[in-house]
Amino acid sequence: MSKTTTPPAIVLKDLKKVYGMGDAEQTVLDGIDLKIQRGEFIAIMGPSGCGKTTLLNILGLLDHADDGEYLLDGRSVDTISSGRRARIRSEQIGFVFQSFNLIPGLNVIDNVALPLTYKGTSKTKRLIEASKMLSTFHLSEREYYMPWQLSGGQTQRVAIARALVNNPSIILADEPTGNLDSRSSHVIMQELSDIHQQGNTIIMVTHNPNLTSYASRVITMLDGQIASDTKTPRPKKSRIATKQRLDSRRETKKQAKKEKVASQQRRRS
Amino acid sequence: MRLRLLVLYHLACAYDSLRANRSRTILTVLGIAIGIASIIVILSLSAGASRIISDQVNDLSGTVAVVRPGTATDQPQLNNLTSALAGSKTASNLTEEDLNDINQIDGVTAAAPLMIIGGTVTAGDTVPEESTIIATTPELPTVSEMAIREGQFIDSVTNVNTAVIGAQLAVDLFGTEQAAGRTFRTHDRTFTVIGILARTDNPINYNNVDFDHAAIISLDSGKQFNQNVASIQQINIRTNDSKDLPSVIKQVDVELAKNHFGERDFTILAGEDLARPANELFYAIGATLTVVAGISLLVGGIGVMNIMLVGVAERTREIGIRKALGASNSHIVWQFLLESLVMSLVGGLLGYGLGYIVAFAAARTFLTFNPVFSWEIAAAAFGTALIVGLLFGLYPSIRAARKDPIASLRQYH
Repeated sequence: MSKTTTPPAIVLKDLKKVYGMGDAEQTVLDGIDLKIQRGEFIAIMGPSGCGKTTLLNILGLLDHADDGEYLLDGRSVDTISSGRRARIRSEQIGFVFQSFNLIPGLNVIDNVALPLTYKGTSKTKRLIEASKMLSTFHLSEREYYMPWQLSGGQTQRVAIARALVNNPSIILADEPTGNLDSRSSHVIMQELSDIHQQGNTIIMVTHNPNLTSYASRVITMLDGQIASDTKTPRPKKSRIATKQRLDSRRETKKQAKKEKVASQQRRRS
Repeated sequence: MRLRLLVLYHLACAYDSLRANRSRTILTVLGIAIGIASIIVILSLSAGASRIISDQVNDLSGTVAVVRPGTATDQPQLNNLTSALAGSKTASNLTEEDLNDINQIDGVTAAAPLMIIGGTVTAGDTVPEESTIIATTPELPTVSEMAIREGQFIDSVTNVNTAVIGAQLAVDLFGTEQAAGRTFRTHDRTFTVIGILARTDNPINYNNVDFDHAAIISLDSGKQFNQNVASIQQINIRTNDSKDLPSVIKQVDVELAKNHFGERDFTILAGEDLARPANELFYAIGATLTVVAGISLLVGGIGVMNIMLVGVAERTREIGIRKALGASNSHIVWQFLLESLVMSLVGGLLGYGLGYIVAFAAARTFLTFNPVFSWEIAAAAFGTALIVGLLFGLYPSIRAARKDPIASLRQYH
């Protein structure tokens, strides 16, 4: 996509993060160098404990790096105050979590409108924006549902709507399909893919290698370092292919059965 | 603008979350309400009590001055305070001569002495627990605007063995207020009741005498009980006009100083000064009780803090989410602080109402005065509620804001 004229959205130079101290010291990020262009869809892969989530938290300004440099939209964010960091989070970053993280006491539309609150948008405007965003996710009828009344897939779509409502320059997704069944996972990935095609930058952490086919670039991490970084020119039709690949084994069996029945019916007619 | 929007938003949030934990909120608010209510009861009643004398002085529209033995200014305050209740037990150096001199002064309508005599009154076997014997002159009703319910007041031609008694004393002695013509005994002499005073329900007044429980006899009789010496505790002076009062006071001062060999061993009080000793007493009592009530408010405040801390712990994850979505530390502080402020202010409002209900109930059942409404009391109530909310909400709020977003997000329920 467009990557020549605009400066990179994110530049990381020799980023380091260490947890604990003394004997318990554990290097989580060990010199990460990374450039992310606007409009990229990045999948970060790797085994548990390789530092994926820590990297995402640092990118989302929830955590500090111990060493190295982080430029967001060309500006260094290492030394700014916590208030400014909060401001940047509210204006430039959208989070999608594995466990959805809707606020249980707020209804769907209030949850989606939440990031706008911290931007200082007026109430009516907040609700209009949130409503618009929900309708693009086909959740208009669910606006006044409470989070517990939604299915997992719907909850995650609400969470994505919330991440997008403040029109962020990057979207950070931490295993967005980790708690979903394969059907819902697929729907969510399609949504993310659509958002990507509209020009948004998405950085997604995942365990599931199947999901990488949606991404334009796959980064594999190992022991706090980038092990591989490959750009995948995404075939247009891969989405349909992944639909089947996404499914778990049991799902596949069911699917196979269904397909059998369907094909039999087709033959009959 | 931005801040106002946020405050409105957080108020709505606070309302929602307080409603979500309804019973918990109600109990916490009740704690504050009880604390505020007790402060309201105490402040409104003590203000009511201290207003009694001011009102009496005002009713006489600034035409009354009072002479008392002793120098009020020299007396230590506590002494001064108790003397207001004990009925001025200083050895009296006011004499009949002083009284006569005062009566001669231009502008004085009337002056009446109050000579308070110890001892009990009895009628048959009945000995009322509460009674005061006062010797005075016929001018007293004019000076102090007393009303006679039945019969007449003692005057210059009535027999020395006659008396006028208060309505309640009549009931205590004879079982009825229709006591004219009945007799009672005191100091081994028999007095005939020739008049009953109208009920005043006013035990606290600038005369330091509860006329409902008083037996009033002539000054001559009083002198006979005191080895023929008039020992006057107080001389009440009434002028024609409030404009005359300052000059009258000046002349009284000069005359009495002459009689007392230049020694100013007496005090002339007028206007607000009359009410001051009693007022100071009520304020002192009120202040002490308010401190005690403050302790109950402190308990209420700790209740708020406790509940807020529980709320913060319960909502750790929510805090993490909000921070991830762009809430700054001050947003989080505001969110929780407004919650505790809402609780304490609602508690203050409830306590204000509750306090006045209790105060009026007390006033109707066993007090002779009404509680006072004033903006000072309202401000004190809501001010303390606000301070309690701030004070006890601040720590939980700051604790909430300081939570690490990553650790908060990792916390599962």
